[in-house]
Amino acid sequence: MEQRLANSFTVTVNETKFIENALISDIRVDGRRPFDYRNLIIRFGSEDGSSEVQLGRTQVIAFVTGQLVQPYRDRPNEGTFAIYTEFSPMADPSFEPGRPGDSAIELGRIVDRGLRESRAVDTESLCVIAGKLVWSIRIDLHIIDNGGNLVDAANISALAALSTFRRPECTVEGEDGQELIIHPPDVREPLPLIIHHFPVAVTFGFIGKENIVVIDPTHHEEAVMGGSLTVTLNTNGDVCAIQKAGGDGVLQSVIMQCLRIASVKAGDITSKIKNAVESYNTQRSLRKIKRHNPSSTVSNVAKHHA
Amino acid sequence: MEFVSPEGLRLDGRRPMEMRQLRAELGAVSRADGSAIFEMGNTKVIAAVYGPREVQHRGQQLNDKALIRCEYTMANFSTGDRMRRPKGDRRSTEISLVIRQTMEACIMTHLMPHSQIDIFVQVLQADGGTRSACINAATLALADAGIPMCDLVTSCSAGYLNTTPLLDLNYVEDSAGGPDVTVGILPKLDKVTLLQMDAKLPMDIFENVMQLATEGCKAVANYIREVLMENTKQLENRRGV
Amino acid sequence: MEASSSKFVDQLVVPGDVILDLSNLSNQTLKLGGGLRQDGDSICVMKAGKLRFMKPNKYWVESSQKRYVPSAGDNVLGVVVDTKPENFLVDIKGPAIAFLPVLSFEGGTRRNIPKFEVGTLLYVRVVSANTGMNPELSCMDANGKAAEYGILKDGYMFESSTGLSRALLSSPPHPVLEGLGKKLSFEIAVGINGRFWVNASQSSTVILVGNAIQKSESLSMVQQKIYLEKLLKSIQ
Repeated sequence: MEQRLANSFTVTVNETKFIENALISDIRVDGRRPFDYRNLIIRFGSEDGSSEVQLGRTQVIAFVTGQLVQPYRDRPNEGTFAIYTEFSPMADPSFEPGRPGDSAIELGRIVDRGLRESRAVDTESLCVIAGKLVWSIRIDLHIIDNGGNLVDAANISALAALSTFRRPECTVEGEDGQELIIHPPDVREPLPLIIHHFPVAVTFGFIGKENIVVIDPTHHEEAVMGGSLTVTLNTNGDVCAIQKAGGDGVLQSVIMQCLRIASVKAGDITSKIKNAVESYNTQRSLRKIKRHNPSSTVSNVAKHHA
Repeated sequence: MEFVSPEGLRLDGRRPMEMRQLRAELGAVSRADGSAIFEMGNTKVIAAVYGPREVQHRGQQLNDKALIRCEYTMANFSTGDRMRRPKGDRRSTEISLVIRQTMEACIMTHLMPHSQIDIFVQVLQADGGTRSACINAATLALADAGIPMCDLVTSCSAGYLNTTPLLDLNYVEDSAGGPDVTVGILPKLDKVTLLQMDAKLPMDIFENVMQLATEGCKAVANYIREVLMENTKQLENRRGV
Repeated sequence: MEASSSKFVDQLVVPGDVILDLSNLSNQTLKLGGGLRQDGDSICVMKAGKLRFMKPNKYWVESSQKRYVPSAGDNVLGVVVDTKPENFLVDIKGPAIAFLPVLSFEGGTRRNIPKFEVGTLLYVRVVSANTGMNPELSCMDANGKAAEYGILKDGYMFESSTGLSRALLSSPPHPVLEGLGKKLSFEIAVGINGRFWVNASQSSTVILVGNAIQKSESLSMVQQKIYLEKLLKSIQ
């Protein structure tokens, strides 16, 4: 009983009241205005297909891996695509070790719906031998620090990781056309995924009795808010997914207003992701040129010792 | 595939803006405090409510409001291919969460602190729109249990196929891969509490589809209201309420 | 005899450092504070921080951390998490929930027990803190007067580290706090447990002060001055 009290996060009465009052005068506790997004930093790991996103205090790592598997029977010529979430107890005292909680599942489903059901990643190009071998793409989302709005951070992180992921090139040879050759990365350049569009999730929180709308709620605001709305959309103005799982009711006009704001923010975020990916790609190509030199020196040294 | 014929009829003969036949029955489970069966065409859902009752796990007790729990399951025989479903998969966990939060929006939880309300919903026949049917069934069951609510949440879905917005998709239309918008509203306040969508849809069309689904919700609300009135009238006759 | 026999005083120490060798000392009594322990003939450091010394014989390690270790006499900010017949359960960021007896208010009797809802913010004093027991709090000073203790209404509670809290309470006063105080009017209550509460007539003032103080923690003295000047200019 006391254990629970110590681990759960109690919002003080003062905080609840203050957040509401401050919002009436259009200001938030971290100094933002209601429709300001927090500072977004996208970094990449040393390997292809890994990214680290920092959104204010929130931190999420995404890792994309690929594997050759048998396709599903109902979709013989499409690759598969799955999202796994890991809410480590490290990120927040309320996350419990063991099986994923409701929030972890909801987050996974929102990201999944946004990316998969809008067909952002071309799954048909992941087919190697129809009905026999396809690439199965797996995204692992690790929550490192929970500073609020995990959904957006996880979604951005997944997009960034997907756009830097590369799979080895495969060709089918042999008389019956069933012999598979996987070309190692130093023989043939690995292939990136084909991504049709970037579905970016933007979350809004509804706070207080008047349901004041804020974008990108922090952890404290999440504890106070009565409901939230996550809109996933791309720069073409398409809505890819929406999630408002109950909570305080809002007017339809408010939802449409949120959609329009989200569409602007999604544009900003998309260009941020694209810039980050571009600079990663330039660095990557530079790194490859350098890679030969140190290895040759190592072999020289080895020879010398011999 | 053609989902709307040139004459403007859908696969099951409905018009694009026509809802399926609704049917509701209160008090389907005798042991439960409140229960209901809700049918939307061939989709059939049963909901049972227990509570407000003592909190089962003391650790979860809330001091300022009632604890709401919800469990959504699909019967093994509910879909075309009969198979054993693992309990607590990601889809049903998410739907349980969505139903719970939607019901929490209308239940006056602050009137019943230190107590717990359990909502069980089971899909008996799935033919599209199970999520909406579950919410409608849960609303009726809660009303049957006499739990204080600020409004009757109702839900309905709408889609967009062959450049036509379609109300209340059935299974064939739902699995066509088109967009599917599920809306849950508080009809008296005219506010949206539940909104879920997947697949791609331009923003202006989305507004129309959402509007259509909202109209559907209102129609469901009227029907649910009638059912409750009818039920209350019967109670009146029986015990002179 | 010299004032201090450890050459580590006012130096940074890390766990495992031996600051004093007792075998070299001529029967001197020592008082060890937080972060130090005796291991045979040597005094060892248990946590990273700055070694402090106070005449005639007190040693302790001063460090900044997020968790608070309760100690009697500290003034802290606590959040009510539950109410029991005898006690309010209060979270003070320590290793255990602290008990605030319902009678430990000025003139407190069975008849006038205050009503605190869950989430009420209190400025309280730690009365006792022993290992193996929940710390006990009081809303009275040692003379049984309410003093400044009690409920804090409105405003906003910010989190900080224990080091920042100590800096805010130290004298000479914290430069950022002092500078802001000259320009703006606001109320502040600092708990040594790494929490501070700010209240002002305008929400924007509270947010500005709170964030400025939180930010000042990562700045050096010179940077703090520059930051403060910039901030004060931006207010005008």
